[in-house]
Amino acid sequence: MARDCRLELLIRGGSGGFELREVASATAYLQFRPQRIADDEWELAEVARGEMGHGTFVLKNCRTDRYLYLSEHEQYIWQLMNGRASVRDIAASYVLRFESLDFDVIPALIAKLQGADLLTLRLASRLREVLARHPANRGVRPLELALRALERMTLASRDVHERFVSAYRLGGRLLFGVPAVAALTVLAAFGLVAASELARVAHAVAVPLARHPILALLAGKALVFATMAAHQVVHGLACVHYGRRVRAFGFTLLHGFLPSFFVDVTDIFMTSRRARVVTAIAGPLVHLALGALFFLVAFYLPGGFLQAFVAASATLQLYALLFSLYPFCFMEMDGYHIIVDLLGMPTLARDSWRFVRFRLAGRLRQRRPLSRTESIWTGYVALSFLSVAFFVVATAVWLVDVIVG
Amino acid sequence: MTTAGDLAFLRTVGVFAELEATHLQELAERLRTRALRRGEVLFREGDSGRELYVVRAGTVLVSKSVLGRVEQVLARLGPGELLGDMSLFDGAPRSATATAESDAAVLCLDPEGLRLLTEASPRAAAAFFFQLVRVFTARLRESGNLVAEVTRWGLEATGLDVEESRGR
Repeated sequence: MARDCRLELLIRGGSGGFELREVASATAYLQFRPQRIADDEWELAEVARGEMGHGTFVLKNCRTDRYLYLSEHEQYIWQLMNGRASVRDIAASYVLRFESLDFDVIPALIAKLQGADLLTLRLASRLREVLARHPANRGVRPLELALRALERMTLASRDVHERFVSAYRLGGRLLFGVPAVAALTVLAAFGLVAASELARVAHAVAVPLARHPILALLAGKALVFATMAAHQVVHGLACVHYGRRVRAFGFTLLHGFLPSFFVDVTDIFMTSRRARVVTAIAGPLVHLALGALFFLVAFYLPGGFLQAFVAASATLQLYALLFSLYPFCFMEMDGYHIIVDLLGMPTLARDSWRFVRFRLAGRLRQRRPLSRTESIWTGYVALSFLSVAFFVVATAVWLVDVIVG
Repeated sequence: MTTAGDLAFLRTVGVFAELEATHLQELAERLRTRALRRGEVLFREGDSGRELYVVRAGTVLVSKSVLGRVEQVLARLGPGELLGDMSLFDGAPRSATATAESDAAVLCLDPEGLRLLTEASPRAAAAFFFQLVRVFTARLRESGNLVAEVTRWGLEATGLDVEESRGR
């Protein structure tokens, strides 16, 4: 930050005299008193406490429904941003509390808070930010426009909370409790038995499917689509179960290309770790329940297209279960959110990649053992690559088997 | 206001530079000199007044009220520079305050003096107005630069340095 810009002020005295004062922007910055938004417009919750005892917090802007991760140090600075303490005061308090100060922490946090409308000043639009950062890059503008076009394909309703509450009261609550867990366990066990029985005659079961491939494909797609919606609805019901707000429900292109339903349960961050884990795992369990049920139904159906279709759908549900719970490869599916919460490392993917890319080689040269956190980061990246490699090899083996066989 | 030194001074003032000696002499006789002590206010923002001033000696600060007793200094004018010219033409209240930064002297031209100059020599008047337009143009450019500078100051003073903070 170039802090050499000066403003000349004339301050008049009481007896007709005056004083001239030059104020450098750096000086003014130290006297700047960051003012957070009104207390009833934000909410702060502790998310996790890591191995060093450091907490991680989520700060919610209730007006815009935006959420920010804050470290314990940032959370301390946030508490001081009451409009009365200057940046200089905040820095002094910070030093007294933490006994050291990287001054960049304060401007970086101010910029972050301004970006989330949590301070009284606002940043420019996202497009302006991107263009400002990369003015020479010709690819930025088309990329931003393309992303915006994809974002426009999102169909969502932000007025869904009451409907989820109604659905919860009308029976959704039965999904959350010991009886539901017991029923799912029993269903899964029976489904497993049925699946193993069907597996013995898998070829005979599957043959009728090949007689009506178009019908099988369309019906399969429709069913998968419906179960994806059910998956998201159960996430929303779990959110309601823990007393938080469902912010939106709709259809989008996941990662810009994968058609998918979505439910916005970000508000669950404001509750306990248990609530977040249950909410994350509730959606994938829909696929387990449906997969087990479909295997059971297929087991009792007579041979033919319907049995083949139901058995194939059961298999697809198991794939959906595994895909949802897959935590690696920076995809941030439900499985990722679960391990993030269990490990207490909210920025696991980003930190892992940064550590492996920039610091791992240096750490290995030091010939000192990695800390627990560093081992987790390294393991996350390693398992991401290994799982992709496994998928590629398994697909290749399957293709060879199909072609040769 | 008819000494050789005064006439020589008027020759150095951009807006009068093209006037012929006789017209300059007539103009000089219509100008009034006003001495200012350090800190004395020549006119205040919001005052009425239609005189144009030329700084003869010392420096004059042009400032605009910001908050309470605090004003932002817009310009520091030295010998040969003009102030008050906007009200001479539009008759609107003064847009800023002029204060002597040091003991100073200014020459005052009222609208009547300008009218006589225009009637006496249209060519001299054209030269005067042409130079005045150049002064206005230069000020317009300075105003644009000042807006950019003040905006930059604001960004830096509040930490709202978008480029740096996003690239960090």
